[in-house]
Amino acid sequence: MIKENYLNKVNSSNKPFIIYKTIKGFDLYTDFSKKIILNNRNIKEFLNKKFKNKKKYKNTDLNIGFFGYELLNNLIGVKLPKQKSLNFPKGIFYKPETKKTLPEVLYFKSNKNNKVTKNFKININQNYYTKIFNKFKKKIRSGETYQIKICTKYKNKSKIDPLDFFCRLTKSNLAPEAFMIKDKNFSIISCSPENLITKNGLSISTKPIAGTLRKTKMINKKKALNFFRNNIKETKEHNMIVDMERNDLSRICKPGTVKLKKEKTVEEYKDLYHYVSLISGKLKKDASNIDIIKAMMPGGSVIGCPKISTLNLLNNQEKESRNIYTGSFGFIKFNGDMKFNIIIRSILNYKNISEISVASGVVIDSNAKHEFNENFIKAKALIDLFK
Amino acid sequence: MIYVIDHKDSFTHNVVHQFSLFDKVEWDDFSKINKKKLNNASTIVFSPGPGSPKDYPLSSKIYKQLKGKKRIIGICLGFQQILFSEGAQIIEQNKIYHGFQSKVIVNKSSKIFNEGQKFKVGRYHSLKLKEPFTAENFDITMRCAISGAAMSFENNVDKIYGFQFHPESFLTVNGKILIKKILSA
Repeated sequence: MIKENYLNKVNSSNKPFIIYKTIKGFDLYTDFSKKIILNNRNIKEFLNKKFKNKKKYKNTDLNIGFFGYELLNNLIGVKLPKQKSLNFPKGIFYKPETKKTLPEVLYFKSNKNNKVTKNFKININQNYYTKIFNKFKKKIRSGETYQIKICTKYKNKSKIDPLDFFCRLTKSNLAPEAFMIKDKNFSIISCSPENLITKNGLSISTKPIAGTLRKTKMINKKKALNFFRNNIKETKEHNMIVDMERNDLSRICKPGTVKLKKEKTVEEYKDLYHYVSLISGKLKKDASNIDIIKAMMPGGSVIGCPKISTLNLLNNQEKESRNIYTGSFGFIKFNGDMKFNIIIRSILNYKNISEISVASGVVIDSNAKHEFNENFIKAKALIDLFK
Repeated sequence: MIYVIDHKDSFTHNVVHQFSLFDKVEWDDFSKINKKKLNNASTIVFSPGPGSPKDYPLSSKIYKQLKGKKRIIGICLGFQQILFSEGAQIIEQNKIYHGFQSKVIVNKSSKIFNEGQKFKVGRYHSLKLKEPFTAENFDITMRCAISGAAMSFENNVDKIYGFQFHPESFLTVNGKILIKKILSA
């Protein structure tokens, strides 16, 4: 464990750095010797790159970064129509030369030089949302999709200190897949709860979340489980995601090895309960990194089901680029092991604009007003950081 | 060899995985069917998928070509695809079942399952078979315990079988046994 003021030192040095949640605390990666900006042309080369087999790997023998939503669509052959965009890079990975361990409680003294406008603007109003919602419900009736997530975006003009935001965010919501990236011209802060890929050797697992319940004094873990079990809509949404993730793992795993390790359990976090399943498998010997990424991404639980037809429906509807939202952040080690999350509950700061994207699902028994508000509640936790 | 024709579904690989327990399985997208594989296969499986059978004329064509020559199995959309190719109408239902576990009951016309036998199965369908429906040698052999909607058919003369539900879903109890039965019938 390192001294607390190290974080302050790195932050004030203006060096780019990344922080990623671990089981016990956080890892900090910095002193990047390489920065790879991904596009449709170089992503295959990046993923297929073979590293020399070494007996002993250093803890910095890895590339860490993110794949944006569009890049992941294109990788599986789904094209997007022209959308309004910030021209933010489609994916970036870094090769760190320094890795440090940080404690779970991040100590950071902000000099509070955040310049923010408090009012966030939403990109689609409730009327328009309802229109899209009803259109998608018809598509569910005709069988083109079974579940689809509508994305709304909140934006404002601001200049923030990302580390200050990240430290405050982890205090209010210590999510298991939280991360931040601070680079010279952008930053990302996320309290993602969802792990998409954990791969060690030939073992691979995914841990989809479908179902969230706000914690109150009246609701303990057992009551939360009863709530989810008795809620038919939540149960059906969750079932669908479990079968879809089993499917995605089956693409790359040996027949008979894909197992539902934890079926519909409740995980408790500071402010909320999540309805979670854990699915694992043993990879086929010839499954390459690119096969794994293509099979699993973009993560199904934030798209809907079935993946391809639902992506096409979504993409034809959305007028603005999702950027990082519902992409994946994580690392690929030189020995082939990897860990990736799904980028949700995130703030992207780029060109002095802060952008928060949220989505919630439409299934046959969803209600437009309820889902629109659900989106706002999800965004509010992040918007409140700007106060 | 079993050849799975994929209708771009997010459950096809669960089907592939399940059938792989019994034989070698190959799969391809419905629009990129490999003739050699089609010829070599002893069993053809039409996968689940979004939309309705009228969206997949290529699959209907394959069905008509191979009927009576190979064992043919349809799951969910595949079930509808076979019936549609036999002249059935596939219509929207009032109550939609997506990610739903429900009970189905075997009726007396089944040759491979016992009458009255109940199964807990996973369902993902917006559409259903419009009844009455008749086609030579086709029997509806399972129905939803509540709505009565057709859930399975058998054609033991031409060796054609279909399930409206998903035997490969984790919501289906003993789905493996159902597949084993229709592969050995």
